[in-house]
Amino acid sequence: MLQYIVKRLLGLLPTLLIVGGLVFMFVHLLPGDPARLAAGPDATPETVALVRQDLGLDRSLPEQFVRFTTGVLRGDFGRSLRTKRPVSTEVGERFMPTFWLTLAAMSWSVVIGMLIGVVSAVWRNRWPDRLGMTLAVSGISFPAFALGMVLMQIFAVQLNWLPTVGAASWKHYILPSLTLGAAVAAIMARFTRSSFVEILQEDYVRTARAKGLSENVVVIKHGLRNALIPVVTMMGLQFGFLLGGSIVVEVVFNWPGMGRLLVDAVDMRDYPVIQAEVLLFSLEFILINLIVDVLYAVINPTIRYR
Amino acid sequence: MKSFPRSLIVTALALGALFAAPAHAAKDVVFAVASTFTTTDPYDANDTLSQAMAKSFYEGLYGFDKDMKMIPVLAESYEVTKDGLTYIVKLKKGIKFHDGTDFNAAAVKANFDRVTNPDNKLKRYGLYSNIGKTEVVDDYTAKITLKTPFSAFLNNLAHPSGVMISPAAMTKYGKDISANPVGTGPFKFVEWQRTDYLKVAKFDGYWKKGYPKVDTITWKPVVDNNSRAAMMQTGEAHFTYPVPYEQAETLKAKPELEVVAAPSIVLRYLSMNTQQKPFDNPKVREAIAYSINKDALAKVAFGGYAFAAPGVVPEGVEYNVKLGPWPYDLAKAKKLLAEAGYPNGFETELWSAYNHSTAQKVTQFLQQQLGQIGIKAKITLLEAGQRVEKVESWQDPATAPVRLYYVGWSSSTGEADWAIRPLLASGSFPPSLFNTAYYKSDKVDADIKAALATTDKTEKTKFYRDAQEQIWKDAPWAPLVVEKLLSAHNKKLTGVYTMPDSSFNFTEVDLKP
Repeated sequence: MLQYIVKRLLGLLPTLLIVGGLVFMFVHLLPGDPARLAAGPDATPETVALVRQDLGLDRSLPEQFVRFTTGVLRGDFGRSLRTKRPVSTEVGERFMPTFWLTLAAMSWSVVIGMLIGVVSAVWRNRWPDRLGMTLAVSGISFPAFALGMVLMQIFAVQLNWLPTVGAASWKHYILPSLTLGAAVAAIMARFTRSSFVEILQEDYVRTARAKGLSENVVVIKHGLRNALIPVVTMMGLQFGFLLGGSIVVEVVFNWPGMGRLLVDAVDMRDYPVIQAEVLLFSLEFILINLIVDVLYAVINPTIRYR
Repeated sequence: MKSFPRSLIVTALALGALFAAPAHAAKDVVFAVASTFTTTDPYDANDTLSQAMAKSFYEGLYGFDKDMKMIPVLAESYEVTKDGLTYIVKLKKGIKFHDGTDFNAAAVKANFDRVTNPDNKLKRYGLYSNIGKTEVVDDYTAKITLKTPFSAFLNNLAHPSGVMISPAAMTKYGKDISANPVGTGPFKFVEWQRTDYLKVAKFDGYWKKGYPKVDTITWKPVVDNNSRAAMMQTGEAHFTYPVPYEQAETLKAKPELEVVAAPSIVLRYLSMNTQQKPFDNPKVREAIAYSINKDALAKVAFGGYAFAAPGVVPEGVEYNVKLGPWPYDLAKAKKLLAEAGYPNGFETELWSAYNHSTAQKVTQFLQQQLGQIGIKAKITLLEAGQRVEKVESWQDPATAPVRLYYVGWSSSTGEADWAIRPLLASGSFPPSLFNTAYYKSDKVDADIKAALATTDKTEKTKFYRDAQEQIWKDAPWAPLVVEKLLSAHNKKLTGVYTMPDSSFNFTEVDLKP
C-alpha cells in the first residue's frame, strides 16, 4: 500500500510539469497586454514601458518560461502583477477560507445527500422516494447565484438573523455553505440512490435477508458499504471542484477565496496568479484521486493495490 | 489561581469594564465599495477607488472639494513665473505626519523626486514626469521647475495621486510603503486585510481642529452589486457606491436609506474612425450623430440616471463649453447620408469598450437607432484584454480595425486639457493615448498647445472654447450622454459625497447616534 502511494506521488511530477507548460502557453495566448492593463486607462506610453519593465514582461517568452519553471522548482511563484505581492502569499491567504467553506458545505451535503439517497432507494417508487428525488432535481437545477441571493434576501435582509457577506464568524458560513452544498447534496442523493437500488437486487442481499437478518442490518451493513464505492468517487470529484473555489458563491457572499482571486486575476491578466492557481487545482485533484483510491481499499478490503 | 477570591476577580472585571467604557459611543463608519484595492500608494495606483480610499490617510498640496473645485490643502499659496516654468509653493505650518515628523518643503521634494525617478517605476510617473526638479527654498517654501510650460500643472498637484508621504516612512519601509501608508490625513492606517477590509482610525494630531468627526472608517470591497445593496438594507454598511440602476427603487423604499444621484464628468460617446471610409466623410458622421435619440438612450440604458451630453467636455470640468445637446433629427440624418452617397445606408462594426450589462443595452439601442437610417451595425462587446489588443495598443493608425466605438472618459485632473488632449489631439492616436476616432485637426492641435503654454486664464478659456467648437463642428464623435453617479447612504451618515469623477469626498463625514 505504502509503496503504491509513493509511486503515485512520484507520478505527480511529470503531470504537474505538463500542466505547468500548458498553462503557461494558454495564459500567454490570451489577447491583451497585461502591462497596458496594469498601467491603467489613462497611462502614457512611457508609463506602460516602465510598468512592462517592472513586471518583467519585456523579456522574451522562452526566457519568461525558464524563469517561471526554475522559480516554481524553488517554490517561488513570482509576484502578482496586480498587487506586486508574492503569489504564494496571495494564494495562501485565499486557500484556507475556500477550504473551510468547502469542508462545511461538503460535510452537511454528503450526510443529507446520502440519507436522502438511501431512503429513496429503500422506499423506491413510493412517496419518500418521490419527495427525495424532487428535492434532488430542484437542487441540481436551481442556479447557485439565485439560491444565494434568495437566501441572503430572506435570512439576512428580511429576518436579520445572519450576516450578509464576509467570512468572520461561524454565522458567516451558514448561507454560503448552504448555497454551495445544495447542488452537491442533490448529486450525492441521486448517486447514492441509483447505486443502492442496484445493490439491493444483488444475490448476497437476498442471502442476507434469507438468513433472517433484520432489514436494518441488511441495509446498513451489507448495502451501504458496497454502495459506497461510486459514491466516494463522486464525493472526491465534487470536493475537488469546490476546492477550486466557486466563483459564483464567492462573488455573491464576498468570500475571500480562490474563486474570486481567479476572476480578478483573469481580468487583469495576472499571469503568475493564474498559473499558480491552475497548478494548485491540478495538484488538489490528483491528491484527492489518490485519497479516493486509498479509501476504496478501506471500504472494500478485497481491493488490493500493488 | 484557585485560591484567588472569586469576588475580587468580579470586582476587577467590573472596574476594568468601567474604565474601558469610552466617554462617547464610538463612531465606526463602514463604506461598501465595488472592487478590491490594488495598493495604498496613490502614486502607484491607476484606479479611482484606491486613490479615493487613500484620501483617508493622505493629503496633497492641493485637492478638490466635493464639486471638483480646486482648493489648497497642505499648500498655503503659490506663485508662477511669467514663462510658466517655475512654481513657488508656500506650505502650511505646523502640520505633522502620523509618525510625528514634520511636514515641510523637504517632504515635498522627497515625494516629487520619488515619482519623477523612472527607476521607481510608479504607475503615475506620466502625470509628474514634466517636473524637472524640486528644490527647498526654506522650510516652508518649495520651488518646482517644469521641463516645459504646462498650465494645468496645479491640477496635477490636486490630482488624488499627488499626495505627501512621510519621507521618514519612505526610508523606513522602502518598497513596502505601498502597504504601510503614513501621511498627514485625518485618519491613520490601522490594518489591511486584503481580502476583507481596510481600516483606518482617527488621527488625534490632525492639523484641522475638530476633524475628523468619526473614530474609524472601514472600507469593505464587496464585488457583487446586490450584496452591497443587501448590506445597506441590513445596516452592515453606511455608504455604498455604485448602486446599480435596478436597485435604486428598492433602496429608495427603505425609510432609513437615502439614494443620491450626483452629476458626474463621465462622458459617454460614440467615436468614429475618421481615417476610414465611410466615416472620413463629415456628413456621414453628422448623420450618425443626428440619428441617435440621446434622451431615450438615457432612459433605456441608464434607467434615467444620465442626460444628453451638452458638449465635448462635460460640465464640471474646467473650461467646458456648452454646445448642445446634439439634436435628434431623423429627416436631417437621412438627407445627410444621401448627400454623402449612402442613401440606403451601409454595413459597419460597432464595438463597445466594456462588456457589462449597461454597455450591452447601450449598443443594442444604438444598433436599433442606426438601423433607422439604414446603417447595419454588428455589435461586439470587447473584454478588457481584447480592447487593449484591438484598440488601445494597435500600432498602425492606417490599418486600425476600430470603426464605431462606444466608450467613455472622465478627466481625472478636472481640467479641459486631460479631457481633450488624450482623446482628440493628433499626437494621441493609439497606442500612445486614446484618440480612437483618429481625429486630426491642425486647429485643435494648435489650440491645445497654446492653452498649455499660457498661464493667462482668459487666453486659456479662449483657446479651449475654440477647440471645443471646432471638434463639435467636425463631429469625430457622436456625443451621447453624461452619467449620473448613484450612491446610497444611511440617513445617520452625513458628509460623504460622490465626486463628479467618481472619487469620494468625506472630509465632513459624521455619524449621528
